[in-house]
Amino acid sequence: MVVVRRRWFQSPWEFREAFLVTAIAVIAGFIIEYLGAGRGVPSLHQPVNAIALAIFGVAVLGVGLAFRNNAVVQWLGGIPLGLALIFAIAVLSFIGGVLPQGEAAPDSLSALLRINQIFSSWPFALTVLFFLANLGFGLSWKLLPFKMQNLQFILFHAGFWLALACGVFGSSDLQRFVVPIEEGKANNLGYSMNSDVPTKLPFSIYLENFSLEEYPPQLLLYDPQNDKLLVERSQAIIQVRKGVTASWKGVNVNVLDYLSYGLRGADGVPQPADQTAGIPFAKVQVTSNGTSFDTWISTGSPMLKPDAADLGGILLIMVPGSPKAFNSAVSIQGENGEQKTATLGVNQPLSFNGWKLYQMGYDEKMGRWSQLSLIEVIRDPWLPAVYLGLFMIMAGNILFFWNGIKRSEVS
Amino acid sequence: MVIDFTTAAILAIACWALGSLLDLFGRKSAALKLPAFLLSIGGTFIMAAYIAIYWSYLGRPPLRTLGETRLWYATLIPLAGFLVEYRWKIAWLKYYCMGLAGFFLVINLLHPEVFDKTLMPALQSPWFIPHVVVYLVGYVLLAASSVAALHNVSLQLRHKKNDAGETAAHYLALLGFVLLTFGLIFGALWAKEAWGHYWTWDPKETWAFLSWLAYLGYLHAFRYKIDRSKLQWYLALSFIVLLVCWFGVNYLPSAQNSVHTYTQS
Repeated sequence: MVVVRRRWFQSPWEFREAFLVTAIAVIAGFIIEYLGAGRGVPSLHQPVNAIALAIFGVAVLGVGLAFRNNAVVQWLGGIPLGLALIFAIAVLSFIGGVLPQGEAAPDSLSALLRINQIFSSWPFALTVLFFLANLGFGLSWKLLPFKMQNLQFILFHAGFWLALACGVFGSSDLQRFVVPIEEGKANNLGYSMNSDVPTKLPFSIYLENFSLEEYPPQLLLYDPQNDKLLVERSQAIIQVRKGVTASWKGVNVNVLDYLSYGLRGADGVPQPADQTAGIPFAKVQVTSNGTSFDTWISTGSPMLKPDAADLGGILLIMVPGSPKAFNSAVSIQGENGEQKTATLGVNQPLSFNGWKLYQMGYDEKMGRWSQLSLIEVIRDPWLPAVYLGLFMIMAGNILFFWNGIKRSEVS
Repeated sequence: MVIDFTTAAILAIACWALGSLLDLFGRKSAALKLPAFLLSIGGTFIMAAYIAIYWSYLGRPPLRTLGETRLWYATLIPLAGFLVEYRWKIAWLKYYCMGLAGFFLVINLLHPEVFDKTLMPALQSPWFIPHVVVYLVGYVLLAASSVAALHNVSLQLRHKKNDAGETAAHYLALLGFVLLTFGLIFGALWAKEAWGHYWTWDPKETWAFLSWLAYLGYLHAFRYKIDRSKLQWYLALSFIVLLVCWFGVNYLPSAQNSVHTYTQS
């Protein structure tokens, strides 16, 4: 058999041409970046980005349908080019997934080529745009004339197109601010990452109360001379409650009594106290080298010194548990007088006039006693379109799964 | 706890080992088939029971740390092997699957983790279980696909044709891809609720996207009628990307600010 080697650009084009053209797009992107000193893709805001995307989408569909028999257009919407572009996106994502993303020295090669912010760089943008064209051409041929058997293809590819295009074109319209609020006060100023000047928001947030719930405290051995916690690798974390026992090499600890919220009384013995003032106290019986004694230890707080048990140079300490939940009771007032009262928590955001409010953080030094709540407010007008795309992908995938199983039964 | 991990793991590994041996010898005598199967699946039952007990002991789903995900993996991957045998009459895959499951249990035996009952607020979400479980099952199927592809490669090197094996590797990859997609999208929907945005190019997200692209590429190459036997190498190696996503991300320079590093060591 004679193997005939295809020459470059001999029709029909296939993988070689696809990888070459893709490589040119990526390299062109890096050259643009280098010439512009790594400034990245300029962000287009509404309505310019929406109009640009609409024109792009219509152009791709129009060209795809009008020239569906043209060999070059067929190649532009074909799998070889798609694979080359998937490969290019994977390589650029690989760079972004291995090298730290964020600030870099301004004259470094990484910053000049924008490798430190690859996902907003020209090479990435050009590759994605090229990919959207490829995907769009392929999609146009399956869209018209519509056939039921193409439904899975259409849902998956159109959904991917929509989610990717709206995610990329809409990213510049994403508004994201942090609003710090003290208890009993209101704030309508939001701070963003890239500016020291706060932005006035179309609503104000009043913080009625910030509350934080902790897991039970833990018992640990601490070596103050070397400032080291003595932890054994397989040691379970010991959550303190009445009756818990623990042992380290030669040291046995038995928790005789435990107060989640306590304060020392006049005689020095801890008594139950209310939640705002009290701190965790535990009465422990420590046995080491044959001797045994009882003592009260506590976690301390920003206002109170902790109490530890001295085991001859090594301290048995109780450290506060990690946060279990933190919430802000807020009331929000819009510019036109509309009002909403709610409790924000992690994973429990709140919607208000097209914005979403998130419990972000608090004053970590103060922990449970923090008077400050950090609330993040976000507006993303493109979200419904991205979500529509994601749900179409999932619907397409259910069909793919179903057809995959059915077809395998035939084979 | 009623049963400690060391006992459960050793019992499960013993069951899988004995089951596999009986099954190998049972190729000639049908009488050994049933006890072999019962022993093999018994190992998986032991691990499933252990997970249930561990779950109730922790008071939270044991899906937080890498060690905990290995428990699920070890439990589920032999099931993938049994399903493939039932579905495509391919017997050899389950040996690899049980071997892999045993391997993961041995890692957990050698590196015991601190039992920590706490669950940070960001993980307290209805999305937690679907997101992780869908990914786990996806990884299980893709691991099985990769193992099957590797077996196919070794047969090719010995110039043996193996259509059934290639079909199995393909459909496992297809089903795994579907689950990866769901895991990725569930993660995006959850991230919107917890962190405010559905996609932030967090290193774990980037690697999840990369592994998704790897299988997206496979499915398109397959669709383009590239010789299936040539794609076995690709399928076998794609799993490495998944492994980086699963374990490796924490060690990469990009992981400094990742929200996915839950294990303190």
